[in-house]
Amino acid sequence: MARRLPRPFDMRTLTLLLLLASIAAPSSKASAQEPEPAEGTRIESAEVSGLALDQLSPGLQRDIEALKGDRFERGRINRLAQRIEEEHPDVVAAVRTVPRPDEEVRVIFLVARISDDGDLASNINLRYAVESVEVEGIAYTEISQVLRDRMQRLVGGKLEADEADDLIARLEAERPGYDVSRRIERGSRPGRIRVVFEFSESERLRWIPFARSRSRYVYHSDQGWSGVHDIPMGGRDHRVTLGFAFSNTDDLIEEYSGVRVRFESRRVGTERFGLGLEVSRFNNTWREPTQLALAANAAIPEPYRTRLTVEPRATVAFTRHLRATGGISFSNLVSLSHSPDSQMANAVVGGLAYTQRWDLDSRSHQNVDAGYEIRSSGLDSDLTYRRHFGHASYRYDNDHNTVIASVLLGRVTGQAPLFERFSLGDTSTLRGWNKFDIAPAGGNHVFHQSLEYRFYNVGLFVDTGSVWDTGTDKRLRASTGVGILGDNFFATLAFPLNAGGANATFMMGVRF
Amino acid sequence: MHLTHARLALITAVVCVSPLAVVAQSFDVRAVAGMLQLRGSGVGLIEGRVADHLKDGRSVRADFELTVLEKPRGGAVAHGQYSFIVSYDLWEQRFAVTRAGTPPRSISHLTARNAEGWCLENMTVPLTSLGRFARDVPFWIRIDYRVEDRAPAANPDDDSAFGLRTLIDVLSRRRQDEMPGRSLEGGPFRVGK
Repeated sequence: MARRLPRPFDMRTLTLLLLLASIAAPSSKASAQEPEPAEGTRIESAEVSGLALDQLSPGLQRDIEALKGDRFERGRINRLAQRIEEEHPDVVAAVRTVPRPDEEVRVIFLVARISDDGDLASNINLRYAVESVEVEGIAYTEISQVLRDRMQRLVGGKLEADEADDLIARLEAERPGYDVSRRIERGSRPGRIRVVFEFSESERLRWIPFARSRSRYVYHSDQGWSGVHDIPMGGRDHRVTLGFAFSNTDDLIEEYSGVRVRFESRRVGTERFGLGLEVSRFNNTWREPTQLALAANAAIPEPYRTRLTVEPRATVAFTRHLRATGGISFSNLVSLSHSPDSQMANAVVGGLAYTQRWDLDSRSHQNVDAGYEIRSSGLDSDLTYRRHFGHASYRYDNDHNTVIASVLLGRVTGQAPLFERFSLGDTSTLRGWNKFDIAPAGGNHVFHQSLEYRFYNVGLFVDTGSVWDTGTDKRLRASTGVGILGDNFFATLAFPLNAGGANATFMMGVRF
Repeated sequence: MHLTHARLALITAVVCVSPLAVVAQSFDVRAVAGMLQLRGSGVGLIEGRVADHLKDGRSVRADFELTVLEKPRGGAVAHGQYSFIVSYDLWEQRFAVTRAGTPPRSISHLTARNAEGWCLENMTVPLTSLGRFARDVPFWIRIDYRVEDRAPAANPDDDSAFGLRTLIDVLSRRRQDEMPGRSLEGGPFRVGK
């Protein structure tokens, strides 16, 4: 009593340091420095540090005091530590043993508040010593020796959250294409844990990607607002996407609103084979220029009031970059002027897709995305046609600079339904032109190319293209524009380059 | 007309698929030392994916928002925000919870129900902020919470810590590590009853 006790904070800090050192003690490395006393060793004394003994229940005090003179028994000691924690759930208690002369041992219960240690507060399992570090998802030898050494240095000590998190970041940097997470499991002995770094293939390494989201809300100063919202639900292999369209005019010459449901499974027995089914029902309205153009050209199939489409598909991946898709498409088109009369537009669909990404270094990479699709009518279709469509895009990112070049080509023969006809002049193609001025009923041929440069999401672009019907003028149009050009958000002012006037078009929106 | 129907369809769909589902009332209130304190358990925090996640030795952060309402779905009288970090002791097979803040408070050796109850007890609102509702006037309480994985950022070299892509991802996509959230509303309560 005569001795002055350290201030509470100092005492707490000291206890915590001792505790943390002790927590590591049961490990193989630590125990080499401080060997576990043999079972049966006589206990010279037992004490509690970091918590006044009288804060424990009388029974627990007696049981701890009763250790003195008894034989060391690890299970009994651990149970007492556990009882301390149960009586004071805001603390952790560890056991430290100090060898004494005459083959005796001193037992110290080191107690510290959980909230005094950021690691323990973030995960209570960080109190335990790491027994082993393992890797799942890739072969251990696929990790560099440097990181393997770092991982193994975790063994024997308390798991440090910052170090483990940094390791995850380094592992992901070393193995691009994988997501890495950390899992903790019980070790082979009480008080020890196994740390497992789980590697899971990120989207880039999947053999078959899920269909891209079509979600967007965009505004075009000549065409108004369009909206599409996809809500994907599901896991890594199977997904259901609920989609809604709101007065969308941004991709077709029709304005459509309605709902679609898409089921996708990209692992049917193997990751190289996938199946999909999309069912959609849209109500269609037609802008006046389109109606006038259709009235003037009897060769184009009539507009429809509703469009119900069912499209089952199968995909086979030859490599992680090249895949083929085949399927059929059934569309029921209810006539706009002769409802409830309807037409069927059925087709067999086939396509090839190629995607590739090259990481040049941590800040620059290139992407190529190309595809070709053919749709050939059949299956008792009322409309007979064949549609070819190809596209390719190249993207180069270097730090905050981005260059995107793209080209698309398409051709339709026969009598294709209006949703299969091509159009240009929206928020993605021939920006600055209005599709309802260029070709209000679309065309059966299309060509378009675009070059875009971005710096910190501010960019400029040049688009050129033409959409035309067989036997009509193939006028090549061009446009340019500047503005905010992000992957998910854009706000641009665009100008047609070879139009009579210089009408500017403002476009903005989000795609996600 | 199409737009109206479409909006209705969107709202219906969003409500149907939203992880924010209202669950039955499972808490009570009491006044302790000038504070309104919640009591109860079974807020549905530690179950399903969250429980699986915790039993893999991972931890989660639960961000709660407590709002005192003058009537069901009515105007807010007072509100507070509270964050908790939950983990599962693999050897003790009990949950540990830390309340973020100054000073932090921690507790361990709890069952799932008790861990949820401890979170509720640590969400307090000063009675002085309740105005007339601190004087035997009935009020309602709404609790909203979201659960997040405590995993680190994927790439520390990525200096675009916040960007539109991140924002849109957060708002629009179901991330792999996304955890559920919930809303609970209960009442009427009276201080002192």
